[in-house]
Amino acid sequence: MSQASQPPVWQPPPGAPSPQAVPPPVPSPVPAPARARRRGSRAPVVVLTLLLLAALGVGAYLWLTTVRWQEDSARWEERAREQAAEVTALQAELDGVNAELVAAREQLATATGRITELADEKAQLGDETVAAQRYLDYQTRVTEAAGVVATALGQCTQAQSQLIGYLENREAYDPADLERFAGDVQALCDQANEANEQLQQELRQ
Amino acid sequence: MRALRRVLLASSLALVAGCGVLPPLPDAVPEDIAPTVEPSLVAHGSENLSPDGFDAVQRMAVRIRNVGCAGLSTGSGFAIDEHTLVTNRHVVADSEVLQVSTYDGRDIEVTAASTAALADLAVVRTDEPLPSYPELADADPTAGDPVTVVGYPEGGALTVTQGEVIGLTTDPLNENLGEVLVTDAPVEPGSSGSAALDEAGRVIGVVYAKTSDGRSLLIPLSTVQELLSDAGAFTDLPPCS
Repeated sequence: MSQASQPPVWQPPPGAPSPQAVPPPVPSPVPAPARARRRGSRAPVVVLTLLLLAALGVGAYLWLTTVRWQEDSARWEERAREQAAEVTALQAELDGVNAELVAAREQLATATGRITELADEKAQLGDETVAAQRYLDYQTRVTEAAGVVATALGQCTQAQSQLIGYLENREAYDPADLERFAGDVQALCDQANEANEQLQQELRQ
Repeated sequence: MRALRRVLLASSLALVAGCGVLPPLPDAVPEDIAPTVEPSLVAHGSENLSPDGFDAVQRMAVRIRNVGCAGLSTGSGFAIDEHTLVTNRHVVADSEVLQVSTYDGRDIEVTAASTAALADLAVVRTDEPLPSYPELADADPTAGDPVTVVGYPEGGALTVTQGEVIGLTTDPLNENLGEVLVTDAPVEPGSSGSAALDEAGRVIGVVYAKTSDGRSLLIPLSTVQELLSDAGAFTDLPPCS
């Protein structure tokens, strides 16, 4: 079965005619030498030994790989737990910040609403101030007009009193002068009455 | 013996081939496993916010107090640039003094005012810069478009109301050249001069009246732009008498 059990094959010398030209040698039933048999029986042992060594090497590599992967896995797990802890902390911080943001937005809305209210209150006060100022101006004008009317009515009364005095002693004066004076008094009193009427109409509005 | 050799040979080949499928040794665990690209953070709900918490729509609106010879009245207006306001002619008419205040109650001194003859529009100039001013839309709105009105109805607090454009109509008050817009956005006396805005916060018209059935009338953007581009369309506001 194995080549080790066959006799050595004769090799033609260099330059010899090709085997095709020579009839093939007929193997002779010569027994194999003992040295060749020993070499042939050691070869499987050597190969098996090499295979064993190789298998041991592979095993050692696999063991090393397993250990390194385990260490690597442990480190990754540690990192993952650290990151998870950090994520949890950041999430809690984010929740807190979001809550603060919501509160800040509410405060901002309240503040802007209050600013709008204050601006409106200021505008209303401005309107009232302007209206009050206009009313004050009006009252001032009415008061001044009332004073003028009162003065005119007083002058009318005074002139009429003076005219009555003249009429009580009418012989002492020129009738034409008395009549002219009476006309002036009437005109003055008419103006005073007209001013008073206008004032009364203004006050009635 | 030959079979043994074949087995050995096969075993050797299998051993050599098996080395190729052996698991490799793990790489060293990195010290920092955080991603190198940081996630982008986008703030929500702060698109229109200013540093003081008011949005641009509110910041551009002003309240106008007309202290006139005949009495006191109020209206609304809005900025179109840093020193220019747009409002209605009837808001500033017959005024002795015009007083402008902003969304936060700040008083702005008026330097000049002019009115348009062909529309119920007026332009008011200020010396101090105005807080904010919007962009003008590209074109007039169409029926169904949403509209936002920001102003001071009844002379009260700053108010923002919503509605949508109903359509065009001829001006029932005969105050304006051409057609005017009708919307269902609620307005009140004092809202006159308010800006009407589209979804993007751009001006699409100016409120000038309210109908008997509660609808609001707007001077369309095209009329506003036409008059603003014509320097002769506005004349100085005459003093009240």
